Amino acid sequence: MSSSDLAEPGALDQVLILAPYRRDAAYLGQLLAEYDMGVATCISADELTAYLAAGPGVFVTTHEALTPTLIDIVARHLNAQPPWSDMPIVVLLDRASPNSRIRGQLAAAWPRSRQLFYQRPLTQVELVSGIQSALLARMRQREVRDHIEREIELRRELNHRVKNILASVFSIFEMTRRGATSVDALADDFGARLTALSNVHSAVFEAKGEAISIAEIARLTFDPYRQMGVSRIDASGPSVMLTREAGTTLALCLHELTTNAIKYGALSVPNGQVAFHWDILPDLGPDLSVLWQETGGPPVVAPSRSGYGTRYLRAALGGLFGAKPDIMFATDGLRCEINGPLARVACNPEAPDSVSGL
Amino acid sequence: MTSDTIGVRKPLRIYCIEDNPLIVFHIEHLIEKAGHVLAGFADSFSQLTADPAAIDIDGALVDVDLADGRTGPDAAAWLKERGIPSIFVTGQQDIANLYADRVVGVVIKPIVAQDFADKVQRLDGRT
Repeated sequence: MSSSDLAEPGALDQVLILAPYRRDAAYLGQLLAEYDMGVATCISADELTAYLAAGPGVFVTTHEALTPTLIDIVARHLNAQPPWSDMPIVVLLDRASPNSRIRGQLAAAWPRSRQLFYQRPLTQVELVSGIQSALLARMRQREVRDHIEREIELRRELNHRVKNILASVFSIFEMTRRGATSVDALADDFGARLTALSNVHSAVFEAKGEAISIAEIARLTFDPYRQMGVSRIDASGPSVMLTREAGTTLALCLHELTTNAIKYGALSVPNGQVAFHWDILPDLGPDLSVLWQETGGPPVVAPSRSGYGTRYLRAALGGLFGAKPDIMFATDGLRCEINGPLARVACNPEAPDSVSGL
Repeated sequence: MTSDTIGVRKPLRIYCIEDNPLIVFHIEHLIEKAGHVLAGFADSFSQLTADPAAIDIDGALVDVDLADGRTGPDAAAWLKERGIPSIFVTGQQDIANLYADRVVGVVIKPIVAQDFADKVQRLDGRT
């Protein structure tokens, strides 16, 4: 038999038979095949190493097959097993054989294995149910193995995300420091930006998925200010679920726009208003269009040089939508508008139903 | 390109391929602080190859993991074929090392300003 006949490594559902004398192997193979079990038959010590490496579900053998060489090959395989693995071994004994000695010898040679002994002659039912329960135990081991693999994958992903978050925080810090006029201003702005980042992270996590709606981002950005008595932000648009990355970016942009409006813009005076509207433009791809419009605030003066907020909005919205945002310091109120393909940012590009308000 | 007669060099036009807008924003600042210009940015390898602005550049800064997967090394290879030098800017030093032959340097995140300024000079092919 060539190695291509060996079982797929990792399936752990095949019965490996080593019974070189008489017609034992043929008989066993036929019996197990009748019960829909996958069978591989191995004849020599040379083959055994390769068959074991392929990861059998259960190893079935006769006591007379177990020469010291073969016992050693199996022992080496058992010792090399990963921690989750405990290959079941079924050994067929004879009434005439020195059974307690064989059992003692194998228990010592194969410490890490689940050994089942049957004395011949035995009924088919007895043998088949014994092998079936051993295969079932092996399936449980396979589940443990798959869990371990998933955990390793999750840890890798977690490490990647933590590194990403730390790099983001570091960039926020460096850029906030650059624009800060005092240590207190640095501490306030940096703290507020971290809070915005943290809030959107929690919101995405609590949504138990990798998506968050624009309405939810608006709610969590504006709610802290509404509780402080700022209730002049009108947010509305259809239901749109954003990816985690797009949601995080939009939340940080809204944070910049909101704090800017409170410090200098429409929300710095009692009668100013902010409209935050988003819409899906079906004719264009479809596109997502987002608009921030301030009215009723003090006359707007364009800043002499771009601060953190403006620069971040340009880079972030530009990256998110693949187009430059239109940021206008109009005298009657700041206006920021951007359009871009919905598919770039959305988790469900076909959002049909429309909801208004929050 | 040549430097002018009093030895003041023209700023380099540097392209940034990075899917985290905060990092783009930070890198833009660092590029300008080093006296160069951000010529454009993309969040993925596919966006890079579709961007006409990515042709007329002196060098690029490339993250390993982008919006379309672990395509940073592909982006670096694509740029190298066009004679454009790149630098990996990434938290994944091990992956960057695997593809070290495609870039002229690696900046590890979080970005340290001095390290960034030193390495960016390697994008200057006019020496």
